[in-house]
Amino acid sequence: MEKRIEQSRSGTIPAIWTFILIVLISLIIALFNAPTVGGPRAMSSAAAYLSEVRHTGLPYIIAVGIGAAILGFFAARAVKQSWSNQMRRNTLLTGYAFLAPYLLVTLTFTVGVLLFALYISFTSYDIFTPPVWIGLQNYARAFRGLVDPIQKDFIQSLYNVLWYTIIVVSVQTSLAILLAVLLNTPMRFQQFFRTIFYAPSVTSSVVITLIFMWLYLKTGYVNFVLAKILGLVGVHWEGISWLGDPRGLIELIVNAFGGSISSDLWYLKGPSIAWMSIMFQNIYTTVPTFMVMFLAALQDISPTLYEAASIDGANGRQQFFKITLPMLRPIILLVVVLGTIGALQVFDQVYLATQGGPLGTSLTPIYLTFTEALGKQGPIRMGYAMALAFTLAVIIFVITLVQRRILERGTELY
Amino acid sequence: MDTTVEKTLVTTPRVIGKPASFYIGQTLRYLLYLLIGLVMFTPFILAFLGSFKTDAEITAYPPKFLPAKWLVQNWVTVWKTDIGQGGTFPRWLFNTSFLSVTLAFLRVIFCSLAAYSFARMNFPGKDLAFTFMLSTMMIPDAVKLIPAYVLMTKLKLINTFWSLILPGIVDAGSIFLLTQFFKTIPKDLEEAAFIDGAGHFQIYRTVILPLARPALLTVFILQFQGAWNDFLKPLLYLNTPDKYVLNVALSIFQQQYKAQWNLTLVGAMVNAIPILILFFIFSRYYIQGVAYTGVKG
Repeated sequence: MEKRIEQSRSGTIPAIWTFILIVLISLIIALFNAPTVGGPRAMSSAAAYLSEVRHTGLPYIIAVGIGAAILGFFAARAVKQSWSNQMRRNTLLTGYAFLAPYLLVTLTFTVGVLLFALYISFTSYDIFTPPVWIGLQNYARAFRGLVDPIQKDFIQSLYNVLWYTIIVVSVQTSLAILLAVLLNTPMRFQQFFRTIFYAPSVTSSVVITLIFMWLYLKTGYVNFVLAKILGLVGVHWEGISWLGDPRGLIELIVNAFGGSISSDLWYLKGPSIAWMSIMFQNIYTTVPTFMVMFLAALQDISPTLYEAASIDGANGRQQFFKITLPMLRPIILLVVVLGTIGALQVFDQVYLATQGGPLGTSLTPIYLTFTEALGKQGPIRMGYAMALAFTLAVIIFVITLVQRRILERGTELY
Repeated sequence: MDTTVEKTLVTTPRVIGKPASFYIGQTLRYLLYLLIGLVMFTPFILAFLGSFKTDAEITAYPPKFLPAKWLVQNWVTVWKTDIGQGGTFPRWLFNTSFLSVTLAFLRVIFCSLAAYSFARMNFPGKDLAFTFMLSTMMIPDAVKLIPAYVLMTKLKLINTFWSLILPGIVDAGSIFLLTQFFKTIPKDLEEAAFIDGAGHFQIYRTVILPLARPALLTVFILQFQGAWNDFLKPLLYLNTPDKYVLNVALSIFQQQYKAQWNLTLVGAMVNAIPILILFFIFSRYYIQGVAYTGVKG
């Protein structure tokens, strides 16, 4: 009886330390991530920075403090319970020691930064002056393009990435499946073929974009090859500047029938030629990666399924639609979700090849966030940029959730 | 890991006593592979040949396949590029290699430590930490990179390599991959070590790490490639010419050399070739890594 009391007492002090440590670390991280003026000048002395924090970041710090206290309470309770047992105590301490680098870095550079960004998205902030709370104005401004066509940047960027996602994800997923099925057989010289097939997806997007910018030139190989092929059937191909052509897909179809779409109705024009050129280039780099995933999944399908099917007289096409596709469903879901997340965040290609042009037909939310946050076009508008980023994050979250619902509902059948 | 992928791919088809139709099918199949390979590799071949062409030839229409005269001078010009403030080509190559090796190495160490605790230990809060890790993987990169710029200015890390190294020492995806791998290692060995009085760190170092070498190499290769190909982060955080990495330098190249696409292509080739060689040597690990995250994730 006496011993048990002693044991429980021996756990109390470490528990208190745990609580203090967690609150302290959280507050230090929060302090650095507090919404104040940025830049080395604000950090010239600790006192100067602290007064900045007191001035503009107090609600933020208090909120983090409360969160940390709750977390600290549960941690302290766990420590108290494990402390009396030497084995459990050791595992607890070593476990967190092993996790410490991960947890500290993630809390600072992911959680802290995200909370900061969320707070900043409700303020007007240019890094060098203190943030000023303006409520939902940044979000309202993002969607003002719905009524005011002059400020349509963000709406247009969303329109662009939606086209991009629909086309890129569907084409890359089906191509990857097709290639995987074709290649899912024993192969000689596989080292050689592998290197060649996957070359586009291991090299950097910058390299691929530069090469394609050159291929897409008016005097480039794409026009040359098209002219040659169309020349064979007697059609004359006038070379176009692929990355500089703002004509939209639907617009081209309408034009072909002798109609036209006025520039006020930009949202009816569909993805521009420039934008589709970037889509093509992106598909070229992502297909091999996803093909590898499908190949690995195909290896997991039991060959007896196919044997049974062929005994029952199923032909190759039936086997593909009745066995292969249903068995690949989980991987298709994964590839579609990963592809969507990637497609909605397209940036490198736009930054290098088109800078959002021509006529804003290749603007993307991340590109806008980048230019607004660093003041590449006009003043630095960090608050507005963060509002855009969060809107995009919510859209990504909702779309992937819907995809999961749709594709997972399908699997219940099997 | 996916040894099944390897096994089935390695076994060569038996060709003894097959009918002629088999050989025809086989030939058609390899022709198809060659065709796909050609489509995939053509841009690289064209760019490589283009890097030897003259200024006039590179944008001439109609384009010729082979350069009229192989101009090795292009490669020398690019190697001697100097945009001032210490921005030279060898310097960028060094920066890129240094950052990629450092990041990949640190990630292997810190991610394997975290993965060990997820795979092999049981302590309160572990499941919560694991769920937390999985959910951080969902957060789009750009949403945190751009606001992190402000944090970097406060920590005075802007324009130092620390701005890439410090947040980059861990990576949720790698921890996940290693956790899954560590779970497949049988526990018998470490139980023996436990009885001999070994601690967790000793077991991690002497039992798990040697057995997990293929997985560690996979993570190293994937992370090296990821760091080498990274663009947005170095573009945001490193902004004087002596700190540029190849990718960022290349984007400036294109403005620097205006219409001299031959020189830009040399830069692109220098960036691509090391990765392609690395991939050629380690393609097995690379493919295992991609396939593993796909199938098991």
